[in-house]
Amino acid sequence: MDIARSWRQQDSNLRLVGSRCRVCEALVFPQRLRCPSCGGADLADHAFQGGGTTVSVATVREAPRGFAGQVPYAAALVRLDEGPVVAAMLADVEPEEACPGMRVSMITRRIRQDGDDGPIVYGYKFAPEGSP
Amino acid sequence: MHLADIIGIGRTAAGEHWRRSLVDLCVEAGGAALDEARGTTPTAVIVGNALGGVLGDQQNLALYAASRLGLERVETHTVADDEASGGSAVRVALALLAAGLHERVLVIGAEKTTDALPDGVEAARAKGLDAVREAGFGMGPSVGAALAMRRYIDEHRVDRDLFYHLAATAHAHAALNPLAFLSWPLPEEQYRCSPVVAEPFTVCDGAPLCDGAAAVVLARPSQRASSAIRIAGSSAVSCRPGIAGLAVDLSLPAAERSAAAALSQAGLAARDVSVFELHDSSTLMAALSVEAVGLAPRGKALDFAARGGLRIGGERPALTFGGLKARGHVMGAAGVCQIAEGALQLRGEAGTNQVAGAKSALVQCLGSLGATAVTHVLA
Ligand SMILES: [Zn+2]
Repeated sequence: MDIARSWRQQDSNLRLVGSRCRVCEALVFPQRLRCPSCGGADLADHAFQGGGTTVSVATVREAPRGFAGQVPYAAALVRLDEGPVVAAMLADVEPEEACPGMRVSMITRRIRQDGDDGPIVYGYKFAPEGSP
Repeated sequence: MHLADIIGIGRTAAGEHWRRSLVDLCVEAGGAALDEARGTTPTAVIVGNALGGVLGDQQNLALYAASRLGLERVETHTVADDEASGGSAVRVALALLAAGLHERVLVIGAEKTTDALPDGVEAARAKGLDAVREAGFGMGPSVGAALAMRRYIDEHRVDRDLFYHLAATAHAHAALNPLAFLSWPLPEEQYRCSPVVAEPFTVCDGAPLCDGAAAVVLARPSQRASSAIRIAGSSAVSCRPGIAGLAVDLSLPAAERSAAAALSQAGLAARDVSVFELHDSSTLMAALSVEAVGLAPRGKALDFAARGGLRIGGERPALTFGGLKARGHVMGAAGVCQIAEGALQLRGEAGTNQVAGAKSALVQCLGSLGATAVTHVLA
């Protein structure tokens, strides 16, 4: 992952910035240039609150390259309170204890590092609501 | 419809081809198909391949394959639509034939994954999902399938171990196929003890990535009576991609629509079809495919497989050479491999894998966890 790519994703990775369509009011994550619902181009940035509920959870033990250092980790689908579903890792929870239907909220963590000397990418994970 | 005749078929074994490069695999399968179609020279070569460029192999692969087959002054295209690449390559060939631009087209599907380490292949493969939002956050096709599998188990209230029967069906058929990668029956005990990739998804739920190639020579439909197997229906559909949609809805809308359109072109219903080659890249994807094509109601694919419904000799024979799960997952070659296998069934040349009296075949390959679907009906 090069620096420009990482910089381009800052808002969505660190603040959950997506888009709100000014025409049909659809909310979408991450940012879009065109509304996936109506095709319109009149979109405004929309920062999601970060609260949500897990829809599905899987404990990853064999990870793709770049993520091996974190196994085992819980991968999850999180339905944000505003509607969109985000695929993300869970944090601050034993993977075995993670389950569908958990209340979670967004936190910023290290996502991956490309090689020993590559840039470290930070972004969103989700932790059980109320955890320190 | 009568879209094309299949006048030549070539296949390599699926497995670990240490001595063969990606281009070699194209030449081996393509050469065998050309040998069968002796006397005809294609004027276009289309190659389906998913990962060649990403894994550091040959790019513009169709050019090099054609050249090493001794085909000069031909039109060449390389098609990369993730795991649907092979089916898409056939679609491109059909379009060229239908437009009257060519009379004979050689289609090759090829993949070479065993030169790279497994975690690198999985990362490359993950780029067929959303490269930033999914692959970039530690999700690959296996994790995606795991998240959907967990939902499938909860939503349909099925016993997790019932997924065994989809894997077992593929293994039982691969055990009869000398070109299969995992050509042995899968005991239930081995399935249950399989190492976890992403709970609840285990190694035995996934299809093993391997090397392989297949090829077909397609000809514009002849006016004269011919015994060649026909492509009687063809449809490609892409719907909104994403692990979230797959796992929440537990359906494959692209696969449903593409199968329905291809069947309607062929004037057939799913219940009329003799052989089904589906995209069983995992037991979960196999279950959703079986339901998308209409072989079992939603949530009932596992029961249907457990009753032997998908076995050769069963109600709806599927994965008749072992499917991706046990013949081997040849990624971008899968779509062409399925068409070759379907055509062999209809010719009555499937050997020990023969479905008695096979008259028609539906073959479907899927890319990006089912968001892209390509279906062909052979008759
Ligand atoms: Zn809109």
